[in-house]
Amino acid sequence: MGNNVKGTPIVKGLGFNSFGIGTNACTVDIDEENDKILRIRPFHFDEHQTPEELNAWKIEARGSTFEPGFKTLISPLSLCYKKRVYSKNRIPYPLKRVDWDPQGERNPQNRGTSGYVRISWDEACEITAAEIKRIHDQYGPASILCELDGHGETKFVHAPHGCQSRMFDLIGSYTLQTRQPDSWEGWYWGAKHIWGMDPLGQNSLQNNVIKDIAENGDAVLFWGCDVETTPLGWGGYLASRLCFWFTELGVKQIHISPDVNYTNAVHADFWIPVKPNTDAALQLAIAYTWIKEGTYDQDYLDTHSIGFENFKYYVMGGEDGVPKTPKWAEAICGVPSYTIKAFARYWAKHAVSIAHCNGGSYIRSCFAHEPARLEVALLGMQSVGKPGANQFKFIEWTLYGMESVTPLPPSSEIPNCSPAYRGWFRSFPKSFIPKTMIPEAIMNPPVSWYGHIGAGFPREDQFDGPYTFPLEGNERLHMIWSDTPCWETCWNGGNEMQEALRHESIEFIIVQHPWMENDCFFADIILPTNTKFETEDIGTDSDNGQWNVVYFERQAVKPRLESKSDMEAVGEVAKKLEKYGGIYENLYERYMGGKTCEEYIQAGFENTGAAKKMTFDEFKEKQYYAFPTKEKWEDLPVGLSQFHDDPEGHPLSTPSGKLEYYSTRLADEFPDDKERGPVPHWVDEGAGHQERQYLERGRKYPFLLVSNHPRWRVHANLDDVTWFREMEEYVKVTGPDGYKYEPVWVHPIDAGKLGLRTGDVVKLHNERGAVLGGVRVTERIMPGVVYQDHGSRVDSIVLGRGGLDRGGANNLIAPYATTSSHAFGEVTSGFLVGVEKVDVFKLAEEYPEAFNRDYDPDCGLVATARVVEGA
Amino acid sequence: MGKVFVFDHAKCNGCRNCQIACKDEHVDNDWSPWAKPQPDTGHFWTHIEERVCGQVPKVKVSYLLHICQHCENAPCIEAAPEAVFRRDDGLVIIDPEKAKGLKELVEACPYEAIFWNEELELPQKCTGCAHLVDAGEVPHCVDVCPHGALRFGDEEDFESELAIAEALVPERAKTDCPRVHYLNLPKRFLAGLVVDLEADEVVIGAKVTAENVDSGEVLVTETDEFGDFWFHCVPEANWKLYVEAEGYLSRMLEASTVEEDRNVGPVQVFAS
Repeated sequence: MGNNVKGTPIVKGLGFNSFGIGTNACTVDIDEENDKILRIRPFHFDEHQTPEELNAWKIEARGSTFEPGFKTLISPLSLCYKKRVYSKNRIPYPLKRVDWDPQGERNPQNRGTSGYVRISWDEACEITAAEIKRIHDQYGPASILCELDGHGETKFVHAPHGCQSRMFDLIGSYTLQTRQPDSWEGWYWGAKHIWGMDPLGQNSLQNNVIKDIAENGDAVLFWGCDVETTPLGWGGYLASRLCFWFTELGVKQIHISPDVNYTNAVHADFWIPVKPNTDAALQLAIAYTWIKEGTYDQDYLDTHSIGFENFKYYVMGGEDGVPKTPKWAEAICGVPSYTIKAFARYWAKHAVSIAHCNGGSYIRSCFAHEPARLEVALLGMQSVGKPGANQFKFIEWTLYGMESVTPLPPSSEIPNCSPAYRGWFRSFPKSFIPKTMIPEAIMNPPVSWYGHIGAGFPREDQFDGPYTFPLEGNERLHMIWSDTPCWETCWNGGNEMQEALRHESIEFIIVQHPWMENDCFFADIILPTNTKFETEDIGTDSDNGQWNVVYFERQAVKPRLESKSDMEAVGEVAKKLEKYGGIYENLYERYMGGKTCEEYIQAGFENTGAAKKMTFDEFKEKQYYAFPTKEKWEDLPVGLSQFHDDPEGHPLSTPSGKLEYYSTRLADEFPDDKERGPVPHWVDEGAGHQERQYLERGRKYPFLLVSNHPRWRVHANLDDVTWFREMEEYVKVTGPDGYKYEPVWVHPIDAGKLGLRTGDVVKLHNERGAVLGGVRVTERIMPGVVYQDHGSRVDSIVLGRGGLDRGGANNLIAPYATTSSHAFGEVTSGFLVGVEKVDVFKLAEEYPEAFNRDYDPDCGLVATARVVEGA
Repeated sequence: MGKVFVFDHAKCNGCRNCQIACKDEHVDNDWSPWAKPQPDTGHFWTHIEERVCGQVPKVKVSYLLHICQHCENAPCIEAAPEAVFRRDDGLVIIDPEKAKGLKELVEACPYEAIFWNEELELPQKCTGCAHLVDAGEVPHCVDVCPHGALRFGDEEDFESELAIAEALVPERAKTDCPRVHYLNLPKRFLAGLVVDLEADEVVIGAKVTAENVDSGEVLVTETDEFGDFWFHCVPEANWKLYVEAEGYLSRMLEASTVEEDRNVGPVQVFAS
């Protein structure tokens, strides 16, 4: 072995984007002779291109220079990836649920508890084809739900999401689970109504904002923003490097969140702990202070906004008799009124920008549209767009293929390899269901809502409807095909979803996935798919902030176990359907679209500007082409400066073209909506939610739970990585029974009250159920609040509503109801829980089956836990 | 001369790339003659120690690198000269053939950098990725550090930094002559907030004097726009804090940074 130290370098993009948009370019050294991955390391832009050819950018300010460097700034979530390829939790072969008989008793009520038996690919695909044919004949194609979204691996030809929809499009459609703007809930449902900013509601005019802050900014507010965590699945550490640079420049970094997140921990100059989902009260008190002290820009508002008087009237107490004073806010949000005033005055006197990274209680809780709108309201009061004052993001720097969403120098091209992409490609069937409403749609149809609930739809779409499922003349759902088996641990109210998946109306569930986890346990048939290391593909990385790049992804190792790629797995079913003739005739060839994998890769390559620079053979040999920085990027208008300087010439995309402190569209369309009225408000409670500590439920469940994007996972991905799990306390907490529980951060004051110590196991509970967690007593969380990451693997002890989970998958007990009555987003952070110490040995006696499952502490649940040998 | 590591605590974001890269490089890879494979878990040839400092709302997290110090006078070589050796470039290597069964080597390292491989019956530790260094590369942990917080190279290239660097365990530095050099090693902070509760306002520009009771050292600062005062990088000591502001009665309070970093919380002052 010693001879082959360096190995053969190939390129892999190890991001977790959806739908054929890649990121996280890495170099992978492989040992071809031994079919082995040696190591994962940064990708080098300058291997075949000179700095001149890359038109290398730099930003100079205050005597300091920032350069991005010529290798990618990858994170441990990429570095660890060998462990996923070789995980003990890889699904070894096709499986069938032991007590599911398509010819006889289907036992849907046993999903989630039954074991599985090994079957062949042939049998698995034969059964699946027969079930599709039967459902088609009996109920029609819209009775088949496709779950095909989310953050799996990023592959183009072997697309992990939506290959089945490609097939169903050829045989009479399907019902689509639409993924609502989950990363941007509050922005999408709220901020769009005050400043437009399609497609997401966050500032989509971010060019040169970093340069502007470096030159003119005094401070950046990190409002629930974790640069050291959230970008890792889609970017890397360039954002982190920018924070170090801000420190060097003397740009103050102020963190506002209930927890000392991983960015606050290293970079913060000032931390304002605020209780989860009470930011709106803090924001209103800031507005109150500015209005009372006359420290906002009325002239700017006169020319740049409408409805400010309505807002001011509400803030000062005209509307409800309650002036939104700092004292009023203190009682709600936990920030001392003297700090609110000091902070408001600091902001009014300085050039302040606000940074975001998505997620967390700020934007994913009930009524999340209010803090989002209020943030824009505050930005407007301090004349947003002036030097040093903008809103920007540390992630998603080319989202939706937009050049204007990067605050850094953009590349000359955002490569688009869509001709290579074989997954779901935004074919929007007539029949669809918002992801947040799936359990209800399964158990209690019909359900209705407004809008397409797809991330990226324009503001007006929120008023489109109502839409209903099922469509007139259609049957309810009877079959589910998922390549996204993580609903339970990623969405709102997973316990309800467990009941839906066991519902008698669902006759067949098929899941394709590399790992045996989460919703896999509810499948009747499981197809083992493989990781991107096992296939040849093409990839792009346009979110590293350095240079956009397109690369050829050689196969690193042969497919493991009996796995096939996602595209191949669906193809196997297509082949089996052909024998039914008619619409199924010649299906495999039609599904493959007439090209080989290599031809698709070539088509993807040829769709990019790289094809003008090199031949396909050259591309395969050099393995990448990086796009130079845009010429004259310095001349791009800074953030919202054009709107600031000339609001008539450069209007916003609101109906008036201005900041709408009073949204006429909301007033017209939903005049009776008290949760999202025309003027942003503080909302105590609503029809679907009572999640305030000071209201009645708060006495029963006295803690607010913060659940951010996980530090050591990407949503539900990577929970089995042994090299992470051994970081005791930080990644998992080993309980007295040797099980690695998902950490729960508890402040020492609360730990004292509850009699808790680090290493104890607690139950986080409410009326929707309970999840266990391992206590970490820490000053990283404010008193009265507990913290647990989301996305831990489900390990159910009791299924369904009121259930109990050992894995710490707290989405199971998140509210079922969506953001608010006309906003259909998820509520998965900032909700009430009780915290109670448990005796795991007693629980083990009570639930012997659950506590005796095959388990390897290093890896967690392993695939064999559910496989019945010899059955 | 020879190779050294330099770790700058001020540049570390705690990402653990170094720790995971070590696993990536050594687990399931046999780099004989320098190292046999590392077990999947339980070994931390490169390790980041995480420490939470202070109290709400003045909390920081400190990340500190632990790795074989590649000492010039390595206690492990002294303990088993037949099995451990220094290469010409200074990297200290446990010979995987000759060290078999030498479990006592684990105890010989005062930096807890040697781990016992039960399966191979072998003491193991960081080799400085000698196999990569020989191929003209840097150790994998160094290659993946996004901030240049961990660097590796020829001693002469770091001359100015080594002049101000510290040792991980200063009291052993003279004896062991470690070749991992630390910059900006964490010290304590002492901080608080000055507030006039009667007026419900923070007090800006208050003079805060910290007197080190143990050494007599006196430090002075002023409260900032948020009413906060910070003394960074102070020693572990007992303190007397004096808070003076125009129009207010002066306050004195005691605080200690002996056990941990200290946020004394809001210091209330009263109008004179």
